[in-house]
Amino acid sequence: MPKITIDNRIVEVEDGDTLLQSCLDEDLEIPHFCYHPAMSAPANCRQCLVEVGMPRVDRETRERVLDEDGNPVIDFMPKLQTSCSMKVADGMVVRSHRTSELVKRAQKDNLEFLLINHPLDCPICDQAGHCPLQNQTYKYGPEGSRFEFRKVMKPKNIELGPRVVLDGERCINCTRCTRFTQEISGSHQLTIIERGVRNYPMTPPGVVFDEPYSMNVIDICPVGALTSKDHRFKARIWEMSQTPSISTTNAKGSNCVYHVKDNLVMNVTARTNMDVNEFWLADEDRLDYRKFNENRPEGPAIGGQAADWDAAYAEAARLLQSTSGQRVFFLGSALSTTEDNYLLARLAEHLGADAPAYIPHIEAGHGDNWLRTDDRAPNTQGCERLGFSALDAEVLKSRLAGGDIDVLYVMEDDPVGEGLCELADLEGVKVIVHHHHTTNETLPAAAVAIPAAMAVETVGTFVNCDGHAQRLRPAKAIKGVNRTLAMEVGKSRADLHGTPFDRWYTESNMVDCEPGWVSIPAIAERVGLSLSYKGPRAIMAELSEDNPAFTGATYDAMGESGVRLDVTHQPDTHTQTA
Amino acid sequence: MASKAGDWRNYKRVLLPPVKDLHRLDVYEDHGGYDALRQALTTDKWDPASVTDEVKKSGLRGRGGAGFPTGLKWTFMPPVNPDVPRFICCNADESEPGTFKDRQVMEYNPHLVFEGMVLAGYAMTIKTAYLYVRGEYADWITHMERELEKAYAKGYVGENIMGSDFSMDIVIHKGAGAYICGEESSLMNSLEGRRAYPRIKPPFPAQKGIWNYPTTINNVETFAHVPLILSKGADWFSSIGAPSSPGPVLYGISGHVNRPGVYEYPSGMLISDLIDEVAGGMRGGKKLKAVVPGGSSVPVLRADMIDGVTMDPEGLRDAGSMLGTAGMLILDQDTDMVSFLRRITHFYHHESCGQCTPCREGTGWLENIVTRIDEGEGNVKDLDLLIDLCSQMEGRTVCALADAAAWPVRHTITRFREEFEAKCRPSLVATHVESAAV
Ligand SMILES: Cc1cc2nc3c(=O)[nH]c(=O)nc-3n(C[C@H](O)[C@H](O)[C@H](O)COP(=O)(O)O)c2cc1C
Ligand code: SF4
Ligand code: SF4
Ligand code: FES
Repeated sequence: MPKITIDNRIVEVEDGDTLLQSCLDEDLEIPHFCYHPAMSAPANCRQCLVEVGMPRVDRETRERVLDEDGNPVIDFMPKLQTSCSMKVADGMVVRSHRTSELVKRAQKDNLEFLLINHPLDCPICDQAGHCPLQNQTYKYGPEGSRFEFRKVMKPKNIELGPRVVLDGERCINCTRCTRFTQEISGSHQLTIIERGVRNYPMTPPGVVFDEPYSMNVIDICPVGALTSKDHRFKARIWEMSQTPSISTTNAKGSNCVYHVKDNLVMNVTARTNMDVNEFWLADEDRLDYRKFNENRPEGPAIGGQAADWDAAYAEAARLLQSTSGQRVFFLGSALSTTEDNYLLARLAEHLGADAPAYIPHIEAGHGDNWLRTDDRAPNTQGCERLGFSALDAEVLKSRLAGGDIDVLYVMEDDPVGEGLCELADLEGVKVIVHHHHTTNETLPAAAVAIPAAMAVETVGTFVNCDGHAQRLRPAKAIKGVNRTLAMEVGKSRADLHGTPFDRWYTESNMVDCEPGWVSIPAIAERVGLSLSYKGPRAIMAELSEDNPAFTGATYDAMGESGVRLDVTHQPDTHTQTA
Repeated sequence: MASKAGDWRNYKRVLLPPVKDLHRLDVYEDHGGYDALRQALTTDKWDPASVTDEVKKSGLRGRGGAGFPTGLKWTFMPPVNPDVPRFICCNADESEPGTFKDRQVMEYNPHLVFEGMVLAGYAMTIKTAYLYVRGEYADWITHMERELEKAYAKGYVGENIMGSDFSMDIVIHKGAGAYICGEESSLMNSLEGRRAYPRIKPPFPAQKGIWNYPTTINNVETFAHVPLILSKGADWFSSIGAPSSPGPVLYGISGHVNRPGVYEYPSGMLISDLIDEVAGGMRGGKKLKAVVPGGSSVPVLRADMIDGVTMDPEGLRDAGSMLGTAGMLILDQDTDMVSFLRRITHFYHHESCGQCTPCREGTGWLENIVTRIDEGEGNVKDLDLLIDLCSQMEGRTVCALADAAAWPVRHTITRFREEFEAKCRPSLVATHVESAAV
């Protein structure tokens, strides 16, 4: 591996890497805008300038020339170099703003230029607070401006497509967005138009920027030029907490960040995981968040009447014991965590019932070989690896019609809404439902209804379509009081953009629900089964020991980027990306 | 210093010889046209490598502005690999203000350019050549298309040229009116149908050119010299004019002279000879004030700086300027240097492609300030700001347009400072407040 010297520090770098990436990998910040590790480097923002020198080599001997002290003689290039386009080479000597006044000055000069035609409307800009231009100006920019002319006016509030809005004046022409559509998504829906200082990105004539990944350009735009039509002006970044977690829209399990304000999910953005989604997130993953906020239940019910939690658990336990285990049908859920499904399987086993089945959520033709899959559920693989089988509609219907089922136990899914049976089929069956939404169509048949925490409110594990096990973290608080959950909420809601004075605790919009790993043990205890774990972490620890399909999937190992599970246990379902 | 152009008064023109209708293929043939190519393709005299060697030996330097040795550039092409296409491109985008010599060659001697391109193609084993010409040259485009068709019909271009096993096509491609398309890497993007943003270098065109394949780009005039070098010999060429940059040069003279135009003479002519004799002296008997010797981007020379200065890279470097395209702007005593500079800053502002920050933002800012001074609203401190901005642009961009925009500002101000100060607002109060350094 080549060795280079950056600001008097000798570091080993990856051959073929760019100088900028090597510096960033060493935690040596170099201000930059246009460079993005996944895309070509046009070196157009000119912010990442550094001084670069190479050891002098004797023409004849090909040896390095040494000075009197035996140190290699370094020849610095006459011009500053853009570190994003410069490949590292052994012996290279680099001076950044930390050691070079020239570089410091050049960075300042460049920021002065970048700002002269920038509208500086940070007070009303969605990017303010997490804006590379704003941050780097504070760190490396000039104190004021010497520009005394009218700024260039460009089109504003332009809907490039249904989801992305452009403010041309804020654009600094880094071409990250156009390169995304050219090099990453391949849609070619954006290009730069006009010339010189009037440049801005636009769709070609007759084209709408509506590709299913369009909103990624909002993430990578280094200023507030591209904003989300859905989220813009709804919340400032510092008013929200940021939780690294997993998307629930499909089986890819793209890594994302949930932005939460007052216990409401306000926005979803991409989180880098090179093993899963790299830097990107599908638009559907970003927009499908209202389900966490709306139509949420308020506490349990017995026979449609509000009840307290104890009574609901007791009634559920009573119903489960009112018949033989063989006549209780358990439905697990590809929408629930592996931990909750595992507890449900333990309960079923204890009662002598068959292993739970799960409802497949397949939408044929939806997948695209990238981050969207035909499977619209996040944890089908988790269910499969637990040995659950996909529920066949005909089987359920015929068993219901044959009167084989006395109790139907539904965890976090909706057999009626999914078309697996009709309410009429459930007459005479005692239905226990853990539900996410008041719109759950199975609810009218529910003898006991138990509100369940959703993916953004719980702790647990999803296994994606490629067998990648990843942790969910709670992004918003629920009413249910639980030490484990409270601690996890505290740990996972990073206050990335706020101040030490921010107060995240608020009672507003807390949903009166419980995670499965609280409610199932509560019911189990009442039928004589102890499922007392110290939270989901302990459940997963046990599973990873006992079940080879989950070997290695401990919370510590999964961390923030997950663990690839053994492929030999990868069930061959039609849910994988083709 | 004396002229390096020798007995230039008896110089016989070769690029633009005084032959009527030379642009017509039959006339061109009658005057030895395509003979060099015939020799190369149908006799043993020239194998491809020796063509390059001869060009190298001649000392020909590129006429597109940078003056890079042409033969050397050709050797940068990687070894031939039959599976990898390679290209040459003739840069006929000629857009620098004060430069209009390539047009003359395309109008009066287009076959010389075609012949030069085919010879270059032969030297570098290339099957496809592009001729990228600025769209505004509409008349000369039709004219060249017509002549190219004739050359095809006569077998000077196309399949099995002159019965040999060498084949090469020439494709004429029209630009759409942007100065930046003359910058070679931007030209290649434009040719590929992309936005004409210059590429970062390295890689150079010989490594990754058109469609990322090895490419050699030369200027129209550069190619036009090649058949002459082969038919008359490298020694003939290198004996003409200034030894370090020999050969005939097309001097494009414009401005306040009696006979503006394009003149072919040896390199190394005295600026004063070109003005006083070649161009017929200053218009209306006025006094010379300034000379911009190589297209609008090179540093301006005051009249008192041109004594004995010759038109070759070294002569002009020593005088404090550059040869550029040898397109000379001659300005007389009545010229307002501020408004002259204002027009130049307008041009570069208008033509910046906008890709990189210092050029995109700086060119407009320069124009703003110079305009303000020209309208009598400027302040003396603006002059220092202008020089500062030049330093913030020079050498910090993807291509050389930012330098081309900054140099005229820097040098016109430093060389005509009093004129600029005179146009600024008088300072009414002496202020003791130091402006904050940025
Ligand atoms: C902004 C800019 C504009 C240019 N315009 C032209 C042009 O119009 N014609 C040209 O031949 N070269 C132009 N050049 C120079 C070309 O990039 C290139 O160096 C030249 O075509 C090489 O040919 P030569 O080696 O024969 O001189 C320009 C360069 C820059 C930086
Ligand atoms: S809109 Fe944003 S990402 Fe696109 S070019 Fe402008 S600054 Fe860059
Ligand atoms: S220097 Fe100017 S013209 Fe050249 S690439 Fe940069 S912005 Fe474009
Ligand atoms: S990050 Fe290097 S030039 Fe933009």
